[in-house]
Amino acid sequence: MSHSTEIDSKHAWDGGQSPFRVSYGKMMMWFFLVSDALTFGGLLVSYGFIRHKYVDVWPKAENVFTHFPFIEQHLPLAYVGLMTFILIMSSVTMVLAVEAGHRNDRKKVTIWMFWTIVGGATFVLSQAWEWYHFIVGTETGALRNVWSEELHTYVQQTVYGANMTVNEYGVPQFANYFFFITGFHGFHVFSGVIINLVIFLNVLKGTYEKRGHYEMVEKVGLYWHFVDLVWVFVFTFFYLL
Amino acid sequence: MSEFHDDYPSYEHMAHHSEEEGKTKRKALWRVFWYMLIITIVELIIGSMAPAQGWSGTLGLKVLFIGLTVVKAGFIVMAFMHLGHEVTFMKYTILLPYVIFMSYAIFIILDEGVYSGDPQNRTKVDPILIQQQLDLKNGHGHHDAAATEAHGEHAEEAHH
Repeated sequence: MSHSTEIDSKHAWDGGQSPFRVSYGKMMMWFFLVSDALTFGGLLVSYGFIRHKYVDVWPKAENVFTHFPFIEQHLPLAYVGLMTFILIMSSVTMVLAVEAGHRNDRKKVTIWMFWTIVGGATFVLSQAWEWYHFIVGTETGALRNVWSEELHTYVQQTVYGANMTVNEYGVPQFANYFFFITGFHGFHVFSGVIINLVIFLNVLKGTYEKRGHYEMVEKVGLYWHFVDLVWVFVFTFFYLL
Repeated sequence: MSEFHDDYPSYEHMAHHSEEEGKTKRKALWRVFWYMLIITIVELIIGSMAPAQGWSGTLGLKVLFIGLTVVKAGFIVMAFMHLGHEVTFMKYTILLPYVIFMSYAIFIILDEGVYSGDPQNRTKVDPILIQQQLDLKNGHGHHDAAATEAHGEHAEEAHH
């Protein structure tokens, strides 16, 4: 960081400069991300609590997520590994777009932003695919006691896939937390792709070239990295542990 | 800030750097990418080996996975999000409130989890499911319907 310009102490606190040496917009993006991180932190902490409570009936990820597109084989964790790779990769292309923005290199910003959007969209679609297989479930299903509204009692029934009240993998809470946390994260990725798209169009239009700096790219970049950051934790707590 | 037209340098422009500086920066960023890729691959290899080796659910494995995750998170926040290069004040303004609050939340679940982890203190779970998970642990098939049928006859009230 080229903090080469010394700031006159007379002006340091009179509104001319930020004591944090960052622009107002960037600092506010950071504050928003802290609050968003607290939301995800709260969700994951509560997930950990409930999982601990039902530890004996909590399914293992390697028995649940075993599908891979176009391959009819039992491949635990392979697909989510690929998804993680795609998201990390799109984080790298994003940071390269930010770096190109610091050199006012519009062509490179365009290219890297484009790949970031492609990576993000691929991730969202992968997650939809993952959800689809999670909801549909296996061919064998699993036996459960399911509440019957007509008989007003529990009846034994084979359950396939997952919904909010019952699933074939484990306790209902497992599917509930899976839907809620990966859904909340997936929505963040989705809105990130939309925001990236808006900024991408502005880059194409030359808005930031006229402005003389690409800080908007940096700000959406912060949001995008945050989405990647959350996924790193979701990946660990849902798939690895 | 440019609309004020003052003499002060704007932070947006201060972030600019030259072509040579860019080269070293890009190199550093790709290095971080390789670190993260290697960590993820190691995690996946250990994760897929764990069931056969009997490591699943051990404390060591949990600590290892969470530790590697925190390392990856550090790379993202410090390198990709550039926080490592901001001024110290900025760094702590972002990190400290979060770390303090989350430490408290984690302490609370560790503390209360001891109580709630007792099966007597929770909503009753479908006995068929409990039996299935036991069978799975003892090496029977995943969806061994025959084994579970015998044990799941009396349907307890599973949910309220």
